[in-house]
Amino acid sequence: MLPSYLTMGAILFCIGLYGALAKRNAIIVLLSLELMLNGVNLNLVAFSKYGVIPSLTGQLFSIFTITVAAAEAAIAVAILIALFRARGTVLIDAFNRMRR
Amino acid sequence: MFNVDITGEYIAFFIFAVIIIAGAVLMISLEKVVHMVISMAAAFLGLAGMYVLLDAEFVAFVQVLIYAGAVSILMIFGIMMTKHNGEAVETAKPLHETLAAVGALCLFGLLFYSIRTADFQSAGAFDPGQDNTLAIGEQLFTGYIVPFELLSILLTVAFIGAIALAKKEAD
Amino acid sequence: MDFFAKIAWIIPLLPLAAFLVLMTLGRGFRRAGAWIGSIGALGAFVLSLLVLSERLKPHAIDYSYNFSWISIGEYTLRIGFEITNLTALMLVVVTLVGLLVNIYSAGYMASDERITVFYGYVSLFTFSMLGLVLSDNLLSFYLFWELVGVCSFLLVGFWYARPAARAAAKKAFIVTRIGDAGLLIAILLLFWNMPGHALDFTSIQSIFGGHGGSFTDGITTVIALLIFLGAVGKSGQFPLHVWLPDAMEGPTPISALIHAATMVAAGVFLVARTFSIFEAAPAAMETVAYVGAFTAIFAAVIALAQNDLKRILAYSTISQLGYMMVALGLGTMTGAIFHLFTHAFFKALLFLAAGSVIHAVHTQDIREMGGIGSRMRVTAWTFAIGGLALAGIPPLSGFWSKDAILTAALEHNPLLFGVGLATAFLTALYMTRLFVLVFLGKSGSKAGEAKESPLVMTIPLIALAVLAAIAGFVELPWNGWLSGWLTDEVIEPHGSVAVIGLSIAAGLLGMLAGWLLYGKGIAGSQPLASRLPRMVKLAERKFYIDELYEMVFVKSLRGLGACLAAFDTYVIGGAVKLAGSAAGAAGKLGLRLQNGQVQTYGVAAVLGVVAIAVVVIGRRMLS
Repeated sequence: MLPSYLTMGAILFCIGLYGALAKRNAIIVLLSLELMLNGVNLNLVAFSKYGVIPSLTGQLFSIFTITVAAAEAAIAVAILIALFRARGTVLIDAFNRMRR
Repeated sequence: MFNVDITGEYIAFFIFAVIIIAGAVLMISLEKVVHMVISMAAAFLGLAGMYVLLDAEFVAFVQVLIYAGAVSILMIFGIMMTKHNGEAVETAKPLHETLAAVGALCLFGLLFYSIRTADFQSAGAFDPGQDNTLAIGEQLFTGYIVPFELLSILLTVAFIGAIALAKKEAD
Repeated sequence: MDFFAKIAWIIPLLPLAAFLVLMTLGRGFRRAGAWIGSIGALGAFVLSLLVLSERLKPHAIDYSYNFSWISIGEYTLRIGFEITNLTALMLVVVTLVGLLVNIYSAGYMASDERITVFYGYVSLFTFSMLGLVLSDNLLSFYLFWELVGVCSFLLVGFWYARPAARAAAKKAFIVTRIGDAGLLIAILLLFWNMPGHALDFTSIQSIFGGHGGSFTDGITTVIALLIFLGAVGKSGQFPLHVWLPDAMEGPTPISALIHAATMVAAGVFLVARTFSIFEAAPAAMETVAYVGAFTAIFAAVIALAQNDLKRILAYSTISQLGYMMVALGLGTMTGAIFHLFTHAFFKALLFLAAGSVIHAVHTQDIREMGGIGSRMRVTAWTFAIGGLALAGIPPLSGFWSKDAILTAALEHNPLLFGVGLATAFLTALYMTRLFVLVFLGKSGSKAGEAKESPLVMTIPLIALAVLAAIAGFVELPWNGWLSGWLTDEVIEPHGSVAVIGLSIAAGLLGMLAGWLLYGKGIAGSQPLASRLPRMVKLAERKFYIDELYEMVFVKSLRGLGACLAAFDTYVIGGAVKLAGSAAGAAGKLGLRLQNGQVQTYGVAAVLGVVAIAVVVIGRRMLS
C-alpha cells in the first residue's frame, strides 16, 4: 500500500504547487501551500506505518509540521490583511516591490 | 501495479483518495473564494480519514481540529476581512500558467516514476501502541521534549506577531 | 703603481651622478644644469687622463677586476671592468669630446627651455659610453650598448615637437635594433659554445687566439658576422646606414658627440674588442673589409650631392667609419683605432663648427649660406682645419691615420687601396665644396645676420682644432708608436713613399677639383648638376635606399600589420563582441524574468529543479 499513499502525497503536493504558482489570489496561494504541506504530512504518516522501521516518529513529525503550519497560516493571514490595507487588493500581481 | 487484493483498507483508501483529489482540484478550479475554502476543508477531512487508515488516530484528530477547523476558519476570516469581488478581471498570463502546469506535471512525473521504481522493504509490523494518544504523549514528553517546548515558543511568538501585524488598523 | 686603474670604475659614475642630480633638479635650474653636467664630464676626463698617464709607462699590466653578479646552478656570471691600453685611449677620447661638447652646449643650447634635461641626457650618454668602454665582458657590454642606443633615441628626438625629429629618433632606434639583434644572437652563441660559458673578453681572446678551441670554422664565422652586424647597425655601415643622416635632426652638439665621435665608434670598438674572433674567421674579415670599402665610397658620393650642412657631415662620418671597417677587415686593428682616434677629434670639430654656423644663420641649407667666413673668423678657421684633416692633407691628423689604412690596403688588397684612394679624392672634393659654399663667395640669403658665436662655443672649437692638427703625430709612417703601445709588439716602420705620395695627390686633386668647380663659380652653385643631372639626382636622393626600404620592408610590414589589424578587428574583436552581446542578451532575458513576481521566480525554480532531477535520473538510467 505504501506506493499508493506516496502517490497520493505526490498528487496533493503537485496540485498545491500548481495552485501556489499559478493562482493570482493570495488567499488561494496560501491554501495551496497548506495543501502541499498536507501532502508532505501524508508521506510522513505513511512511512511511519509502512517504512523500513515502522515507528511513531513519523506521526510525531507530522504533528510538529501541523503546528508550524498553523502558526504559518496565522502569520500569513495577518500579513495578507496588512497588505490588503496598504494596497487595497489581494491580487498577487500587485505585490512586486521586490523588483526595485 | 493494480492487482491489489480488494481489502477493506483498499476500498477505504480509494474513497478517501477520491474525496481528497476532488477537494484539491475543486479548490484550484472553483470561482468563488469561499467555495474554494470549503472544498479544501473536504480535502483535509479526507486526509484525516487516511490518517486513520494509517493507524494514526491522534494525527487524524489533530488534522480535523487544526486544518479542517482552525485553518479553514482562519482563511474564511481572512477572506471576509479583504475584498473579493471574485470577478476581478483576470489578466490572463497563459505562458506563466502553462509553464507552472508543465513544471508541476513534470515534477509529478518524476515523483511517480521514482515511487514506482523504488524498492520499499517492509520490515516488521507497525505497532501503534495500545493507546495511540498515550504513546505519542509519552514520546513527546520524553524524547522530543525540547522540540515540543520550542514549538510552544514558536506558536506564542507567531500569534503575538499575527496580532501585532493585524492590529495596525486601530491606529 | 696602478692606483688610478683600480679606481677607474669611478669614471662612469661621475656622469651618472650628474645625470641623477640633473633629473632630480628638474627644469628650474637652468644655469646649474650646464655646470653640473660639465663638472661631471670634467671629473671623468681628469680621471681618464690619469689612467692614461699610468698606461703610458712601458709594459703596463692590464688591470681587470670583476665580481660575481649572478650565480645560477653551476654557472656564475661575473662582471667587472678592465683597463687596457685600448680602453684607456677610448676613455680619454670619450670624456674629452664629452667635456668639450658639454661646454659648447652651454652656449648652443642656452635658449632652449629643456637645457637641464639635455644635460641630463648627455650625462647619461657619457655614462653609458664609458661603461661600454670599461666593460670586461660581452654581457655588460651589451647592456651599455643598448643604453647608448636609448640615449641616442632620446637625444635625436630631443626636439620632439618636430615630427621629423620624432621620425628620426624612431628610425635610429629601429634600424640599430636590427644590428643589436645580431649582436645579441652572437652573444648567445658564444655563451652556448664557450667553455664555462665565459663571456669576458680575456677568455674570448685566449680561446680564439688559440685557433678556435672548441669552435668550428663555421660557427666562428657566424659569430663574427653577427657581431659585425651589430657594428654595422651602430656604426651606420651599408645597408643599415640610413638612420645616421636622419639622426641629424637632433641638436648639433649631439651630432658631434654621438654621431661623430663616440657612439658610432662603438661599432668599431666592438669589432676591435672582439678582434680575435674575426682573426679566426677570414671570411668574416673579408666581409668587413668589403662592406667598409663599399660604405666609404658610397657615402662619399652621396655626401657630394647633399645640400644640408649636417647631412654632408653625417655621410662623411659614414664614409670615414667605412674606412675604419676596412682597416679592421685588413687586420690592422691599430689602423682602425688610430683613425677612430683622429676622426673623433676632427669630426667633432666639424660638427661643432657647423653647429656654430647653424646657430648664427638659423638654417642648415648650404645654398643659403656663403661668405660667412669673414663674419665668423674663428669658426671658419677651425672648420678649415677640421676639413683639411678630414680631406687628408699633411701634416694634419687625418692624413696620418688615413695613410696607415691605405698602406695596409696596398699591402693586402690593391682593389681596396683603389677604393680608399678614390674615397680620399671624393672626401677632399666634398669638403672643399662645403667650405667654399659656406664660408667663401658671395653672401647667401641667410648669411647677413651671422656673427661670431660666444666664447663658450669657440673655445671648444679651438681646443679641438689643436687636437685635430696634432693628434696624428702619435703614429707616423716611420714611427709606429701607437701600434706598439696598443698591441705590445714592436712594429716595423712600414712607411711607403708611394702611398704617401698618392694619398697627398688624391687629397690635393680633390681640393683642386672642388675649387675649380665651386670656388670660381664657373657654373653657379650646381656645376655638377648641369652636366651630370642623372648622376647627381641619384646621389642627392641617396641612391633611393630609403625609398627602397620603404617599398620592400616598410610597405610589406605595414601590409602585414594591416592584415593582422583586420584579423584583430574582425575575428578576435568579433569573437569578443559576440561574447559580450551574448552576455547582454542573456542579461536582457534574465531581466524579463526579474519582474518582481514571486510566482515567476517560483516557476523558474521548479523548472530548474525538474531539469536537474531529469539530468540526475537520466544519468542513473543510462549508466
